[in-house]
Amino acid sequence: MLVRVREYPSFHQTGFARVVMIRLHNVTWRHAGQMRGRRGETLSALTSISFTVPQGEFRWLLGPSGAGKSSLLRLLHLETLPASGEFELLGVDIRPAVGRSVLARLRQRIGMVHQDFRLMPTLSVADNVALPLRLQRRHETDVSTEVDAILNWVDLAARKGARPAELSGGEQQRTAIARAVVARPDLVLADEPTNALEESQASRVIAMLREISAMGTTVIVATHNDALVRRFPAQALRLEHGRLVSNE
Amino acid sequence: MSDRRGRRVRDGLALSHALPDRSLVAMVAAMSLLAALTWAGAFGAWSLSARWAHGAANLVTIQVPDPDRPASLPSDDATAQVPVKENQTDHQRSRIDAVMDVLRAQSALSEIHRLDARELDQILRPWLGTSGVAALPLPGVIELHLAPGASLTDGLSSRLAGLAPGTLVERNDDWRSRLQMVARSLLACAALAIVLVGGIGVAVIGMATRLGLGARRESIAILHGLGAADGYVASRFGRRVAWLSLAGGIAGTLLAVPPIAIVVRFMAPLSGPQAVTMPEQGYSTILPEAFAAFTDGSVPGDLMIGLACVPLCAMLTALLTAQVIVRVWLRRLP
Repeated sequence: MLVRVREYPSFHQTGFARVVMIRLHNVTWRHAGQMRGRRGETLSALTSISFTVPQGEFRWLLGPSGAGKSSLLRLLHLETLPASGEFELLGVDIRPAVGRSVLARLRQRIGMVHQDFRLMPTLSVADNVALPLRLQRRHETDVSTEVDAILNWVDLAARKGARPAELSGGEQQRTAIARAVVARPDLVLADEPTNALEESQASRVIAMLREISAMGTTVIVATHNDALVRRFPAQALRLEHGRLVSNE
Repeated sequence: MSDRRGRRVRDGLALSHALPDRSLVAMVAAMSLLAALTWAGAFGAWSLSARWAHGAANLVTIQVPDPDRPASLPSDDATAQVPVKENQTDHQRSRIDAVMDVLRAQSALSEIHRLDARELDQILRPWLGTSGVAALPLPGVIELHLAPGASLTDGLSSRLAGLAPGTLVERNDDWRSRLQMVARSLLACAALAIVLVGGIGVAVIGMATRLGLGARRESIAILHGLGAADGYVASRFGRRVAWLSLAGGIAGTLLAVPPIAIVVRFMAPLSGPQAVTMPEQGYSTILPEAFAAFTDGSVPGDLMIGLACVPLCAMLTALLTAQVIVRVWLRRLP
């Protein structure tokens, strides 16, 4: 269980050679028309993006609005495929010829936290969190154990039967984080996860994501909250006009 | 996804609210009703035509005018083949007896039956009434059943005409090909009707599935993002639509049973050896009488198997249709 794992030495302390989880080389992506995200925002093109992220790393993804942060996260979440360049994710060479079932299995290894949470409105907190485990056909006993543990971790055990509409913004975001990490993914992506949260709630969410990273999961968090970046210093990918301008 | 204890699936799709359940069941029931009636009609037409064609091909009818008049003197050739009873001389023999004697000598016949006055009366009564039959000079009528694969000798007609001038031998072979043609036409029409019904059913199921997909677009996108494979979403829709179609198929087939039972009961005298008369109490007892056809063996087993297959076909069609439509729809997602 995740709660128990926290007691072990952090991934960075183990000394094992770290595997490259993300590798992009000269990746370009653009849509034929004007592509919009789920929230209606225009998705920017990406041009000649190259970087690698090893296992267990925490990276900020920074840049002004329209810089291409959402496009890059969509690419990393396999919601779209690059037009050109080399793209290796979780050890799989991503090409247009990759089968849909392979992409689906890869997505099961990626936890995504959206700014708008994307919780199932008809399901309880516990059932929302259990979704990735049920999609992996895990036994209900295991599902129940894992969900209880993760809800304890995000301090939502008392709200496990509530529907998303009955939760505050912070609770919804914590539910989304719990859902993203419950299946122990290799990669967690978070798109502006603190946008709708108060300062204290935002810090709590980032602290959780750092904790996940310390346990060996690669985490990439897109934000334009500079105060938060200063409070949790880490290597940052900075995008401007669809180009990667720094990676330090 | 259901757990191993078969509890309700909790993946947020809530297909019971997303799909137009009642209208889908009603439409599939209507399609199944039509399919069941079409199948029963085709089966009945095929059975009747096969029976009639078989009977017609083997049945020969001989009409002997003035059957009680003395037979004419036979030619030498005929004499050789006509056995004469010991206590009977040629001038004493009636035409009908002479013809019967010739026919009895034929090895190709499996059955020879002379219709008696009562049987002729029954046949002619619908046309002539009760008074007309007695007033008319009726020919003697003989029914011959040929043995399987056998045929009458070529010179039989002329020999019979020599004994009883005006004797008419009616072979029904021509009816066989005509009836077979009719049966094939009916079966082709039924097949076309079933294809049309199936096509409309596929269209209805497809529209219902697309409605459900539209209603759950957001939930499907979330599941897709969480790593749900196309097969998972397709099977969720497929199973739901299949169960609804099975329910509709069962309902439609059950609705088709009463009319089929009545028709089977009506057709029993035509399609089988047992003669079933309509109830004298009136039409209020038709339905119980008709349903008895399902228990007394009047309904052929093949027809019942076909009817049982209608809901299963509806379910399989729905499963396949929903799977294909959902998988094609999911192609818009990466």
